[in-house]
Amino acid sequence: MTQTTTSSTERLVAGRGIGGFGERHFKYTVLAPAIFILLLIGLFPLVYSLIVSFQRVTMMSADTSFAGFANYAKLFADARLWESLLHTAIFAAIALPLELVLGLAMAQLFLERMPGRQVFVALLVLPTVISPIVAGANWRLMFDHRFGPINQVIGWFMGEPTPILWIINPLTVYPAILICEVWQWTPFMFLILLAALSNVDKSLTEAAEIDGASQWRIFTRIVLPAIWPVMAIAILIRGLDLVRLFDIVWSLTRGGPGTMTETISYYTYVQGFSQFEISYTAAMAFLVVALLTVIVTLALKRMGIAR
Amino acid sequence: MSKKLIGILVAIAIIIVGGIVIYNQQQEAVRIEAEQMAAAQATAEAEAAAKAAEEAAKMAEEAAAAAASAMDAADRAVEAAKQYAGTTITITWEAGLQSLDPLNFSGPKWKELTGIDVKVVEIPTAEMFTKTMQEFRASTGAYDALNVIPAWMPDLANAGALEVLDPYVDKYGFRDELQMIAPTYRDNQMTVDGKIYGFPDDGDVFVLYYRTDVFGDPANQSEFKAKFGYDLAPPKTWQEFRDISGFLTEKFQPNMYGAGFFREPPYVMYMFQERFRNEGGKFFDPETMAATINSDIGVRVFTEMRDENKMMPPGVETWGFVENLAAFLNGQTAMTISWPPYGRWAAGYGLEQEAFSWVPKSQVAGKVGYALPPGGHPQLAAGFALSVASTSKNKDAAYLFIQWLNSEQTSKQRVQLPYALRDPFRTSHFESAEYIGRWPEAKQYLDTLKAGAETGLLDLSLLQTDKYEEALRQAISRLWAGEDPKSILDQAASQWDATTQEVGVDAQKAVYGSWAAKSGAYPR
Repeated sequence: MTQTTTSSTERLVAGRGIGGFGERHFKYTVLAPAIFILLLIGLFPLVYSLIVSFQRVTMMSADTSFAGFANYAKLFADARLWESLLHTAIFAAIALPLELVLGLAMAQLFLERMPGRQVFVALLVLPTVISPIVAGANWRLMFDHRFGPINQVIGWFMGEPTPILWIINPLTVYPAILICEVWQWTPFMFLILLAALSNVDKSLTEAAEIDGASQWRIFTRIVLPAIWPVMAIAILIRGLDLVRLFDIVWSLTRGGPGTMTETISYYTYVQGFSQFEISYTAAMAFLVVALLTVIVTLALKRMGIAR
Repeated sequence: MSKKLIGILVAIAIIIVGGIVIYNQQQEAVRIEAEQMAAAQATAEAEAAAKAAEEAAKMAEEAAAAAASAMDAADRAVEAAKQYAGTTITITWEAGLQSLDPLNFSGPKWKELTGIDVKVVEIPTAEMFTKTMQEFRASTGAYDALNVIPAWMPDLANAGALEVLDPYVDKYGFRDELQMIAPTYRDNQMTVDGKIYGFPDDGDVFVLYYRTDVFGDPANQSEFKAKFGYDLAPPKTWQEFRDISGFLTEKFQPNMYGAGFFREPPYVMYMFQERFRNEGGKFFDPETMAATINSDIGVRVFTEMRDENKMMPPGVETWGFVENLAAFLNGQTAMTISWPPYGRWAAGYGLEQEAFSWVPKSQVAGKVGYALPPGGHPQLAAGFALSVASTSKNKDAAYLFIQWLNSEQTSKQRVQLPYALRDPFRTSHFESAEYIGRWPEAKQYLDTLKAGAETGLLDLSLLQTDKYEEALRQAISRLWAGEDPKSILDQAASQWDATTQEVGVDAQKAVYGSWAAKSGAYPR
């Protein structure tokens, strides 16, 4: 036994002497292929897009010459681009708080045990699992001025037919997109917040109640801080999703009337796949990446979840 | 003595040597002569053989030509294509009803005739250009034959995505049959810079459909004449259209309206192009290439289009192809303007087929008349041409398939397929006795299509056409949203100018000049 142990130690010591470098870097050697593949998949397209953004690549011509900062300079003169960013910000600024508040309210409602709770939760989550393009198409039917149930219901209340042109009229087109967006993604907030609320320590809220704290005070001082880390992540995910808002706009309005509901994603699509401005599209993508990096960094700091 | 003897011997030797030399020369001469004679004989024989072979080849050629002249372009394509039996060619086709032609009819028939399989790639119209360009740029060779909207042809040809078809046309004897395509399509939708890039294969043209029972009603006629001072008849001007549409709407709404049009921007873009030119508008200043769609004519057309919506069913601003069709087939509108299939379906032709389960049963069969839209120069809106992809690995087989599809023989059958949406485009189609017998008013229908083909206006076709069209689509969308026509068109014109600058004024000017010189560019 002693003999065996000695031999092993010797081998180990000898190994250190001969293969010390390999052993010290063993973890890097093992990780290297995975890191290389990840860089290849993740970084290569990014670097390639960056290169393309400095070229003159369009699908209409074979010219791929160096364009310098021409595409980036064009960004600043493109009013339609900045309008689309503004539209995106408007959608995010309205939809995100609505989804958060409604999701939280629903989660609070379903926190208590009630008959059929599981069935209701499952039904409420259904919109989230539908493809956004399908959701948009369904809502287009719902908003149809002749056959859509929405105008019909409004007509019952008004006492006469009300052919509201939801996706044509500038006054109703934003509400139409927002209704569809909020309908589809509030359940996501609901589900995440329901899970967060379920984990709040009941003894704390009960103690506060015994001490005579109001429900609002309990919510703001105990519940909200407890669920905040989860809620912040949910806000971040939905916020980023809203920046990418495309499918619902495509299905409902095609960015119209005119360019009134064009989001940055929709406009990027138009430039890339309809106008074939590949290099300009790449420059737009980098502008969005830069803006998002700044916003997300600020948001993470502000939310206190970056620590 | 000895000297004498030596002299004699030398003389004898000289005589012998000389004799030998002379003999040898004679022998050589004989040999050469014999060789020359043999060579001459061989040459003569070879010449005779070559002549015989040439005569035989000539006879064979004459025999082949005689046999070929007995065949038409379709048969020639089939015969030539048999050598490619067992291969597969891929063709792009508009998704939906259009593609039922190669899926249900022409594809299987081609396979039966030649042994060549046809794979159909269905693509939505809006993505056809993108997909074609993407595959070309990637040099995948994924498509062999293509359906191309003629307005895209300059862009695709300049990019190199389309094969020049002239050599194939000559090789497979299609030039004569190409001449039989109706002149508007043949002269305007086939070539770029004098080279053939596609065969016009769809006689798309806007037609005014109207209710003959409503227009022929004596009460309507007398009331209308009393009010406007002229006979109630299909409108020849937009003023007449407004009179008639307003009159019928006022009298029959909400059960029936004077007119209904599709109003989705991609369709109205064609209607605007048509109406703007009928009213005398020009798209550009030919000298400076400055956009002139925001001229007084453009603003007037836009304003009238918006105002006419009030004479149509509520919510018409959202109507697309199907909504407009449904309203007309259900008898909710007395007039509409659309592509030729509306006429066939309104007559109930082929609607019993499963492919038409989505089309409402026509309530107006036998009550529909056909006329040219107001202005008399209808838009040859969209349409399709058949081309060969330059990156195809089966160019000859692909070419032969499109020659066969486009030939007199095959196309006559294809334009009568109720579901396929290919409209008459050859002179013979308009005169086909078989087609005329399809429904009672088919002759009037075909006559109207023919008249439309003779006077029709081409879609605007430039470098990067879609950017100009996109600006128009946006403008129309804003028009329905209630914005001021003048400011909308000013903005659209500035977008056009920006695109022209981007493309290059001189380059675009050359392309526009070439387009504007075509017979169907502006009314003549």
